[in-house]
Amino acid sequence: MNEPMIQARSMMWVAKPLIGVALATTLAGCIELTAPERPIEINLNIAITQEVVVRLAQDVRELRETNPGAF
Amino acid sequence: MKGRTKIILAAAAALAAVGGGASYAATAIQARTADQLRATGLAGEQFNGYMGIVNDAPSDIRARVNSINITRRAAYTEVAGRRRVKIEDVGAAMACEIFATSILPGQYFMLSDGIWRQRQGNAPVPRPSYCG
Repeated sequence: MNEPMIQARSMMWVAKPLIGVALATTLAGCIELTAPERPIEINLNIAITQEVVVRLAQDVRELRETNPGAF
Repeated sequence: MKGRTKIILAAAAALAAVGGGASYAATAIQARTADQLRATGLAGEQFNGYMGIVNDAPSDIRARVNSINITRRAAYTEVAGRRRVKIEDVGAAMACEIFATSILPGQYFMLSDGIWRQRQGNAPVPRPSYCG
């Protein structure tokens, strides 16, 4: 009666180590990343001059009118 | 059958949990334009001329903000080409305009320090020095 059950369990005993081996090989395939020696610098200080902003004032007001809902 | 009942119960529980924030969600779902998004308190204006997500906004709000930013980027690019300036310059100029006119009391804005702040009452929104 219980034979198929027992068979399934014994299958698991065989399968478990196999899963372990499969996992180990997958992990072995991972690429190892090391941090670069010098930190990556991202410059957030974008130089924007008042002169340019003032010159664009009318243009941006027009953008608002031509793109309702976007600004 | 048992499994299905479980799923239905779980769905009902999830709906009940969402129900608590129903009014909040309703205003958020209807938010489509930039001013509506600002009014939800889930999105705000940044000094670079683009909108940003303030808190843990739901995906529909994020999608709307992204869509608006794509429109803005295209608009800034067009002006930048015509006026022979950088796209960032046009964005900055627009931020100056938006900060001066469109952030209502309680709405969020972000300066170059990267911190979201709320406009306090009718106090003017601080702007970057290049706004003039």
